[in-house]
Amino acid sequence: MKNRIYALKFAAILCVVCSTLITGASVGLKGFQIDNMEVDRQKNILKAAGVIEPGDDREISKAMVRQIYDNSIEEIEENGLTLYLYKGDDGSPPDKTDVIPMESGAIKAYVIPIESKGLWGKIKGYMAFENDGMTVAGFTVYSHSETPGLGGEIEKAWFGKNFVGKKIVDASGGFVSISIAKGETGSLPPGQRENHVDGISGATLTGKYLTQGIRENLKMYEPVSLKFRKNQQQ
Amino acid sequence: MGSENLSLWQTFTRGIWKENPVAYQVLGICSALAVTVQMQTALVMAVALTLVTGSSNLIISILRERIPPTIRIIVELAVIASLVIVTDEILKAFFYDISKQLSVFVGLIITNCIVLGRAEAFALANPPIPSLMDGLGNGLGYGVILMIVAFIRELMGAGTVFGVQLIPQWLFDAGYTNMGIMVLAPGAFFVIGLLVWVKNSLPGVSHEEKTGQ
Repeated sequence: MKNRIYALKFAAILCVVCSTLITGASVGLKGFQIDNMEVDRQKNILKAAGVIEPGDDREISKAMVRQIYDNSIEEIEENGLTLYLYKGDDGSPPDKTDVIPMESGAIKAYVIPIESKGLWGKIKGYMAFENDGMTVAGFTVYSHSETPGLGGEIEKAWFGKNFVGKKIVDASGGFVSISIAKGETGSLPPGQRENHVDGISGATLTGKYLTQGIRENLKMYEPVSLKFRKNQQQ
Repeated sequence: MGSENLSLWQTFTRGIWKENPVAYQVLGICSALAVTVQMQTALVMAVALTLVTGSSNLIISILRERIPPTIRIIVELAVIASLVIVTDEILKAFFYDISKQLSVFVGLIITNCIVLGRAEAFALANPPIPSLMDGLGNGLGYGVILMIVAFIRELMGAGTVFGVQLIPQWLFDAGYTNMGIMVLAPGAFFVIGLLVWVKNSLPGVSHEEKTGQ
């Protein structure tokens, strides 16, 4: 009996100590963490838009990311969809507007958030398009829980680079989205290569889910992309 | 484990080779499959696990006379899990880039049988300093196996080592292809199995050590 009471007491004390430690660490460090996440998010938008070269991670300080972001990216809402416009960095903050400024050359690229199902959890990233509304300018993933070394490769710079220059429309201009091929795109018929990127071997399922997720997101943003495409034709 | 008469150095090195956690104790196989596709992820995991086994062994050994035997496993798990989570929180706050690489491993570290196995088999019965050495040694032993497996898998599966292309392009042009199975989990099983076989057939290993009886 005495032993049992001791065990209970020990368990109670251990629980209090452990939970205090974890709660303390979590609450006490939250400010720093949110700050880091925000900078990381901004950095990913900049990388997708091609402002920061994907791959060179460490050389850029937090303050610099903030400054570049504030000077070149403008966040707007269009029909309830969040958009990030890249207007080029001229050293001063861009003009704030509520609508997409359509005069030619005002926008170099636009970035949309991508949220997709993955094999193990949500995949979050950004995809940037050139101002023609159909050519991908970049793709980055900033949060996922795929297997490191396999599906986890989606966050690597090489995978993002595969998307650059690909088209979300087919030759006749109809929307087809971008798919992740099973294997390399070289084995596909030439007409489809523009709309596919190389897959990751050993991560077929991650590719399948991400393909699906990208299609859903692009479809949602199709009205915005259409605007850009029309503007280009005029 | 009659370890009182072992020197600290022996306690440390035993985990690295003779009683290697993967090749001898057959612990930690699950995570050894998951993170050995590339050398870089294997290295990160090896360092993280070495630090965790070392510190969890130390803490549990300090507490060993107070831990009630009836609830010892859950106590060990609580200590290990809190330790890993707190470390992850600190990394997230101050070393965000490293934590982004590591966060996926956190779950794998907590559930890694080596950590619990060493706490249970060694730290509960031995003083803090030898326990620390035992933890570090076992972590390193795990790391060594991880690196060997990852080297073989990355080289044969992707033709690279630490992401650097090692198989020359002309070999691919001549018809060489990467071994797809090395990228998948079965590839790791084959490599680990072969490693255990090689280790056990080396001279100087007695029958007793081979069979663990």
